[in-house]
Amino acid sequence: MRDHEHSNIAGALGVALIAALVGASQTASAHIVDGSATGGFMGGFAHPLFGLDHVVAMVAVGLWGAFLGPPAIWLLPITFPMVMATGGAIAILGVPVPGVEIGIALSAIVLGGMIALAARPPIAIAALIVGAFAIFHGHAHGAELPPGTDAVAFSVGFVMATGLLHLAGIAFGLLTRWPAGRIGVRVVGVGIVLVGTAFLSKAI
Amino acid sequence: MSGLLQALIDGLLNPMTTPAHGLTLLALALLMARQPQRFVVLLIFALALAAGFLAIVLAVETTPARTVLLADAAALGVMVAASWAPKLLAWLLTAIAGAALALDSPPQAVRIAEAYATLAGTAVGACAILVVVAAIAGHANADWQRLGLRILGSWIAASAILVLAVQLRLS
Repeated sequence: MRDHEHSNIAGALGVALIAALVGASQTASAHIVDGSATGGFMGGFAHPLFGLDHVVAMVAVGLWGAFLGPPAIWLLPITFPMVMATGGAIAILGVPVPGVEIGIALSAIVLGGMIALAARPPIAIAALIVGAFAIFHGHAHGAELPPGTDAVAFSVGFVMATGLLHLAGIAFGLLTRWPAGRIGVRVVGVGIVLVGTAFLSKAI
Repeated sequence: MSGLLQALIDGLLNPMTTPAHGLTLLALALLMARQPQRFVVLLIFALALAAGFLAIVLAVETTPARTVLLADAAALGVMVAASWAPKLLAWLLTAIAGAALALDSPPQAVRIAEAYATLAGTAVGACAILVVVAAIAGHANADWQRLGLRILGSWIAASAILVLAVQLRLS
């Protein structure tokens, strides 16, 4: 009976999270289409929060990390920002990466799928998967960095927001300590797959 | 006198108001917190800072100090994130941070005395940040606290890598 209640609460939390993310996201892609990113710390901080595909993938990284447990719970959120920044640097230096939008949509599908299926690959494989997708996310955002003195504040804000999305995922993923929580987290994984699929259909 | 005081305050605030400086100092402080000989790290930093200021006084021409500083911050951030800090490499990066920070802080003052006051303020401000942040981070002994510091290191590295790319693109 208690488990059933927990399951309901976890499920409701998952649905609420997805609804909140959909509501918060006014644009339908990870990057600002016209390239007019606002500068400064707040501009950088807000930037990743206004792309639903980016948000769900970041939360998924944290969720999956929590699902996998140590050392993935800290390895994935530590690895992701640095690899993402490398992807951003590639974009800033003008090196093209094909299929960025498709890669971002696939990241939500694959990471959400991993959570939904409670997949537990070896940590090296998990890090490889997350790292590969981080390149696409970084590349999409890299071109948005404003030039000049504002770049540092913008980057710090941008990276912090991304990291906090991971931490939000980890915090939510800690529900996996309880059987009902595991179900709730897997339901959120299904939601992330659905969001990713919607973006993939747009990208193709 | 008020001009000197203002110059000193400007110098004190410089490491906190210049994001690239703050980023590097934060990364260095986190690394320093995990070093068994913190005083040696602080001493190396102070000496390198003094050498950099001496170069400014000797009217060294414009240097790519900002780019070097960001590359240094990225390397320090990666080391903090990886929880890996061989002593000699840590000392080398500390020296680079000190010298680059000094070379990237040329005073704007017109009067010589005010320029010196700004340099002195910058030196005190940078060292104070290092000592305070390293002392706080040194008390982070719980697993989750250590993990938090490593995540912070990865954020610093990521931010520095992005800005470094912007700098290279602009140059």
